[in-house]
Amino acid sequence: MATFLVDGQRVEARAGDTLLVAMLRTGVHPTGGGCLCMGGDCPNCLVTVDGIAYTRSCQARATAGMKVTRDHLGGEEPALLSDEPMPAGNAAPVRHVHCDTVVIGQGDSGREAAREARDADLDVVTLDARDGQHVTGVYPGPLVVASDQAGRVLHVHPRREIVVATGAAEIQPVVPGSDLEGLVTARAAAGLVAAGIDLGRAVALGESPAGLPADSLVAHFPVGEGGWELVRFEGNGRIEAAVVRRHGDATEERIECDTAVLGLGGNPRNALARMASDLPVRVVGGAAMEPELPACPREGTVCPCSRVTVADLDGVWKRGFHEMELLKRATLAGTGTCQGGVCLPYLRSFLLERGGRLQPAFTARPLNRQLTVRELAAGAHTAVTARSPLHDEHLSLGARMDRAGGWWRPWTYGRKDDEYRSVRERVSLGDVSSLGKMAISGPDAEAFLERIVPTKVATIRPGRCRYVLMLDERGYLLDDGMLCREADEDAGDRFFLTSTSGGSGFFELWLRDWAEAFGCDVRILNQTASLAAINITGPQAARLLARAGARELPAFGRHRATPIAGVDCRVVRLSFTGELSYELHHPAADARKLWRRLLAAGAEFSVQPHGLETLLRLRLEKGHIVIGQDTDYDSTPRRLAHEWAVNLNKGDFVGRQAILRTNKQPLDKRLVTLRADDPPPRRTAEDPSAEGAAIHDGERYAGYVTSDAGTAAGGGRPMLGWLYLDAEGNLPREVTVDGRAARRIDGATYDPEGERARAVVDTASESPENVREFPLARPEATDLAIEAPPGPPRFRQLEATRVSATPAALDALIAEPPWPAGALAFRTAPDELLVTASPDFEVAGDPHAIVERETAFSYVWLGEATVERFLDRECEWRRPDARPALAQGEIAGIPAKLWFEAGRTLILTPAPFAAAFQRRLTGSLAEIDGVAG
Amino acid sequence: MNEFVERQMKLTWRPPKKSYDVVIVGAGGHGLATAYYLATRHGITNVAVFERGYIGGGNSGRNTTIIRANYGIPAAVRFYQRSVDLYRGLEEETDRWLMHQQKGILWMAHSEGAVRAERMRAKLNTEFGAQTEFVGPQQVKELCPQLDMSGGGRWPVLGASYHPQGATARHDRVVWALAEGAMERGAHVHQNTPVDGLILDGERVAGVRTAAGDVAAGAVVSAVGGHVSRIAAMAGLRLPIRTHRLQAFVTNHYRQQFGPIVASSELFFYASQTARGEMLLGAEIDPQPSFSYRSSHDFVQDVCRRALCLLPFMSNLRVLRQWTGVCDMSPDYSPIMGQTGVEGFYLTTGWGTWGFKAIPAGGEQMAALIATGEVPELIAPFGLDRFARDRTMADRGSAGTH
Amino acid sequence: MSLRIPCPTCGDRSVHEFVHGEIRCVPDHLTDPDERDLDFAFHHDNEEGVVTERWFHAQGCRRWLEILRDTTTDRILEAEES
Repeated sequence: MATFLVDGQRVEARAGDTLLVAMLRTGVHPTGGGCLCMGGDCPNCLVTVDGIAYTRSCQARATAGMKVTRDHLGGEEPALLSDEPMPAGNAAPVRHVHCDTVVIGQGDSGREAAREARDADLDVVTLDARDGQHVTGVYPGPLVVASDQAGRVLHVHPRREIVVATGAAEIQPVVPGSDLEGLVTARAAAGLVAAGIDLGRAVALGESPAGLPADSLVAHFPVGEGGWELVRFEGNGRIEAAVVRRHGDATEERIECDTAVLGLGGNPRNALARMASDLPVRVVGGAAMEPELPACPREGTVCPCSRVTVADLDGVWKRGFHEMELLKRATLAGTGTCQGGVCLPYLRSFLLERGGRLQPAFTARPLNRQLTVRELAAGAHTAVTARSPLHDEHLSLGARMDRAGGWWRPWTYGRKDDEYRSVRERVSLGDVSSLGKMAISGPDAEAFLERIVPTKVATIRPGRCRYVLMLDERGYLLDDGMLCREADEDAGDRFFLTSTSGGSGFFELWLRDWAEAFGCDVRILNQTASLAAINITGPQAARLLARAGARELPAFGRHRATPIAGVDCRVVRLSFTGELSYELHHPAADARKLWRRLLAAGAEFSVQPHGLETLLRLRLEKGHIVIGQDTDYDSTPRRLAHEWAVNLNKGDFVGRQAILRTNKQPLDKRLVTLRADDPPPRRTAEDPSAEGAAIHDGERYAGYVTSDAGTAAGGGRPMLGWLYLDAEGNLPREVTVDGRAARRIDGATYDPEGERARAVVDTASESPENVREFPLARPEATDLAIEAPPGPPRFRQLEATRVSATPAALDALIAEPPWPAGALAFRTAPDELLVTASPDFEVAGDPHAIVERETAFSYVWLGEATVERFLDRECEWRRPDARPALAQGEIAGIPAKLWFEAGRTLILTPAPFAAAFQRRLTGSLAEIDGVAG
Repeated sequence: MNEFVERQMKLTWRPPKKSYDVVIVGAGGHGLATAYYLATRHGITNVAVFERGYIGGGNSGRNTTIIRANYGIPAAVRFYQRSVDLYRGLEEETDRWLMHQQKGILWMAHSEGAVRAERMRAKLNTEFGAQTEFVGPQQVKELCPQLDMSGGGRWPVLGASYHPQGATARHDRVVWALAEGAMERGAHVHQNTPVDGLILDGERVAGVRTAAGDVAAGAVVSAVGGHVSRIAAMAGLRLPIRTHRLQAFVTNHYRQQFGPIVASSELFFYASQTARGEMLLGAEIDPQPSFSYRSSHDFVQDVCRRALCLLPFMSNLRVLRQWTGVCDMSPDYSPIMGQTGVEGFYLTTGWGTWGFKAIPAGGEQMAALIATGEVPELIAPFGLDRFARDRTMADRGSAGTH
Repeated sequence: MSLRIPCPTCGDRSVHEFVHGEIRCVPDHLTDPDERDLDFAFHHDNEEGVVTERWFHAQGCRRWLEILRDTTTDRILEAEES
């Protein structure tokens, strides 16, 4: 016995009762009228349960404490403007189940199908509404989604077949009075009697109802095929009589009754099959029957969900709405909860009679059973944002982190004017670990790069670097970066290419695509996650680095490998800020150490870090573009005034032909640097920036501002913006921005000659006693820790070696591994290997191989039971059965590699996602434990 | 009486003739709007619209009914603002209830970069006649109290651009009103009549081949959605179009009023409330080019998850139904309207995920072009030849959600 | 799950783990270099039927693969690493 509330009144439910049955025992009809089917096919039993409206009471098991309200158009009103906490936007828990065959419906034909499949040694999952499993849809995958009693959502992934054994629905009556209480279908009648509910004087209309003793009926009229016609029901709220007549006879017969039992024919529940038309679906049993059409309705409510009457149908028919879809849309019949469950047979029969044509049923679409938003969200995650290895350092320094280009970046450390001054006047650190970074080698490395960047790669000498554009085949700018040729000539052609942070996700995809398209023999290793990068910038930059132990620093436009503060660095000398700058690329594992040591070494210079907001301002004063901010989808080098970065005289490269083609068109717009002199364009305190503001050339609208930091330095206030050429093809010199004068300048507002960035530096002049010694930390050869530490599972940095080499060379390496026996080797791609050990080794079979000892990944070990439960929730793809086995794909919305061993599983994820993965893992395990059993 | 049953509109069907002055292929919003404006603005009524299915059965019957002009380039703002204005007067002009509701659209910013983009949108829009302003978190919450301003704890709302003229209208009714308006002035609309070929007279398109026979035409306009490459190929044209699926879903009705349309680029979804109180949600296109109308689970799953970050009240709403349309995507996220270089053959396509809002202006301008032979200034930037002329209409304000 | 792409290294995975890549083919009848380039840069077959296309497995092995897919039904015909 369970007690629940209906409109505040207590109702007792017996074991096994649905809400509907329990209510009917007390004489309460859930919606106040309408035929009940107890099959989930109609809207006449909808109630609100615990705040969730449109709940079918015939499908919901009564449990103690449920609060039911019979206003099915309502639902709890959420607090709008109050102090109450917002409801949490959580998804329901999900469970992924893989099988061979799923059978939906466990009536006779469903049980038969399941038995056959089991006899054939197939892995079978069955779902049935009576067990509280409601299938919402059959989707491509294939995938069957169902809610279950435990409040979870099941995602069933059948490998072979979906069997639809959902039976048939019973056709409901459409006559005046069909919205009275006391109408039930034949199966519903049998169900009610079995539940001990007295039907009183029951009249059967249509087929003889099975499951009802004949003596319980006061009359039986075989309406439909049997020669009788149902005319109407009479009563006031509750049925008092049914009125019938013979076909062709005007004389009516009126039968007094308490319950009308309708047996008007069947309608196959085949929506799940029809929505999955070219998936491996088989329909059996009642669901495969031919739909039976009732007689054309004359009068009454055809669609109880949308309250559409026959007169409504007639009205739109007469005005030209003859197609099924037009009839449906013009009346909204069939667009409610039951999605045509009641009305569709009548709509077809109506259209057949009026138009002479049997029109097909509505297109079957999900959702077959309407789950809540919370249930449908089960198993999904929002996008993950990558973290730099220095993320926690920034937080500890008081940074406000912000999302930019898919990464968390420090926007500011709280005092942006101080940050600015530290760069211009002293020295500052910037975390640029989010830059895309690629190592490229191979016999065709130079030829490959020559074909994908517009600069002449052949003239980049060893130890030099050059700013490069990356164009698409339309000649439009995709990204930019620095291309460095390695200094070590013995190593053959080896290059290091960077991209912007925002482009880092796309970078590898793009390089590999062209490498394959051109058939180039290259090795490409993505070092975006394995290398961190710190920018040391400011007039004291070299002195700071000298203090930190740097012996030799590269000149402008060069790079060199040199240890700094005990960390192996590739030092790239370029300048984005306009000051003397060194970009230190180093192993991600050493990032924190390097950052802290640099801050310590720079204490006497009052070094402090600068955030992204300040960086944007600094580069603006130099007129440097930011991809995606100053550039558009159609930004050619010519439009960007970056033709100096393009060499049209070398061989073909991606976008070359497009540049030649578009150069024949007159130029329409250019990205320009503007300088606003005193007074600067007027802006408000909340919006000090002129970004987006119109640029006018006299009266003519001439473009808009793309970058403005809202501040002026000594050289006036710089802005970048798009400027349209005038009718004569000229670029105006004097313009107005927001009504204030600005002038187009060539070059930068700050240090136009670039003297500060290109300063010649002599570190040898640094006196030795100022230089700090740091121990050079070279990690020892490690094996992966076999025992995971005690306590809750936590991701840790993986020290490993990654190898990019030819498949044959990797095969040879694996056949005779130069690493210790306990190490694990993962062949993550035919040409890439990840080994959980870091001995020094060479790849004999491939002189161009790239071997990097690194920590691009983080890892965690999970015990078998834990990992099964975790993956049942967070992994929708089928896991391998073999042990051991490697599998790669998305887990909890994050890219992962899994290594399955007997008894435990290793999960690897790129280090920038480890923190997010940790959170999702911890959250998931906590929820699993909470929902145990 | 059910207020939502359509009680006035009358669709008049007539048998097809052997020739017309103008034949339009595709009886969706754009095709019917073209016929409507040809009849009402130019007195050109010897027009037929051929439709392979039922009118409005393509994208016009599947979209999420958003009307707005807060785009990212001047030409687009002008064009869509014209459409916003025409929509505002359409109920009065047709004397039909279109369930047009002006409710405003809030475009969320969850990061500094997005704040910047929305501020820029506001400035550009205002410059070109579409009212949009940037509003701070407090105003956002006032405009939409149901918002979780913490974004589920992960995607805080730092502000938004607010475009008060953002509106919704019942898509079917727009289609029917335009059809009725054209039909009652003499234009023909022929359902269940696919066009399977173009009749060429030398280099010129002189008519169409249909299941009901050949039909001669002074001008042929392709206004089809989803199969435009096929029609263009009949005229020997290749197009910068790729067709992708776009999905949407609707919930049961929500008893509170949900004021504005809410969109978030970073959370990749947008939501509005229909006249029946249901919540209607859309997001981005499917990743692969496809002509399949199949709905997927990961769409409804992902969008529900993201929507819960901003609109946790939706937790207990039931999703009623989901569906799919096929969108013709252009390289610059802008439509393609006008001449094709093939005489007698016009095109209105590339409507991607931004077609419904443009129906009146698109029809009005195409009608003007066909009637006068001159390319109207409002749509001149959207010509097919812009790719060859290196004048793409790359619209950052267009991409994202629609 | 919606479309399932068969990655030869990793196995069947949801389409959302991949990035789509089109294989462009300029028609032979175009001879002018600018016309060919314009077609290559902008025009699509947009084929209703079986197409060959590439997918990059961004969430897995991070390599390209090639498949045949019927764009009218989204059914995949076969997979091979490109």
